[in-house]
Amino acid sequence: MDLNEELAYKIAFTIGPLQVPQYVVVTWGIMAFLVIFSIVMTRNLKLVPGKRQVVIEGLVSFLYKLYYDILGEKGKRYIPYLGSVCIFLAVADGVGLLGISPPTRNLNVTVALAILAILLVQVGGIQTKGAKGWLKGFGQPVPVIAPMNILDLFTRPLSLSLRLFGNVLGGVIIMALLNSAIPIGVPLIGSAYFDIFDGLLQAYVFTFLTSLYLQEAIE
Amino acid sequence: MTGLIALGAAIAVFTGIGAGVGIGIATGKASESIARQPEASGAITRVLILGCALAEATAIYGLLVGLMIVIRAL
Repeated sequence: MDLNEELAYKIAFTIGPLQVPQYVVVTWGIMAFLVIFSIVMTRNLKLVPGKRQVVIEGLVSFLYKLYYDILGEKGKRYIPYLGSVCIFLAVADGVGLLGISPPTRNLNVTVALAILAILLVQVGGIQTKGAKGWLKGFGQPVPVIAPMNILDLFTRPLSLSLRLFGNVLGGVIIMALLNSAIPIGVPLIGSAYFDIFDGLLQAYVFTFLTSLYLQEAIE
Repeated sequence: MTGLIALGAAIAVFTGIGAGVGIGIATGKASESIARQPEASGAITRVLILGCALAEATAIYGLLVGLMIVIRAL
């Protein structure tokens, strides 16, 4: 069955005993692209912005406002991280447009991102309320609920990572089925939906939920 | 045997019905409340996306279970 072949993780190259899978190489590519893009776009910024600077300023302030509305003044310093994750996820989900299988299709990538997100939430709680206040936060609003709050530490990253992974994987499978059934025309519409719309939506949902948890932690 | 396995995977994907109904109701209510109070549309959209993300999770779990069954079996 070719679905299995489609879903298998290919090995890009091997360094001694170390096998480097394809999705790691794709992630490196996306990182390099984003870093170079950011450096090129923010070179010699001026007080009176040119065309290039207006575009990039619009994008940054759009993302900034998105999270500022949720986090408020207190959580301002966590916005750059959330924005970076959002941009990375949007590009990583949309890379399917180029015929590359998206790295977020792999559970390892999404679990890593979700663990980072939940670590950020805990660190944010400790930074704003101190270690004591952070520990006390588990007994809020009533101490009986503390086991539930501790369970949240595990269920939140689980649902965050599985949501992203399942959405992207579902998109990849449906696209593979569409490609083999009707190779002309129809995959275009499917690709526009799954790679652009769904990718952006999932990037937004992931960072939006992270910022909600963070706002709860730093309040 | 293969037919039964495929049937099991198909049953797992029935979780999609719940998510569909849930997201449908949430979106319907959200558009109603935006029509009633257009100035609160930002807050309503935020709550709607949160609700949709949570409702969608059940469908995703169903999909994953279905996939696990199919990939194990074939």
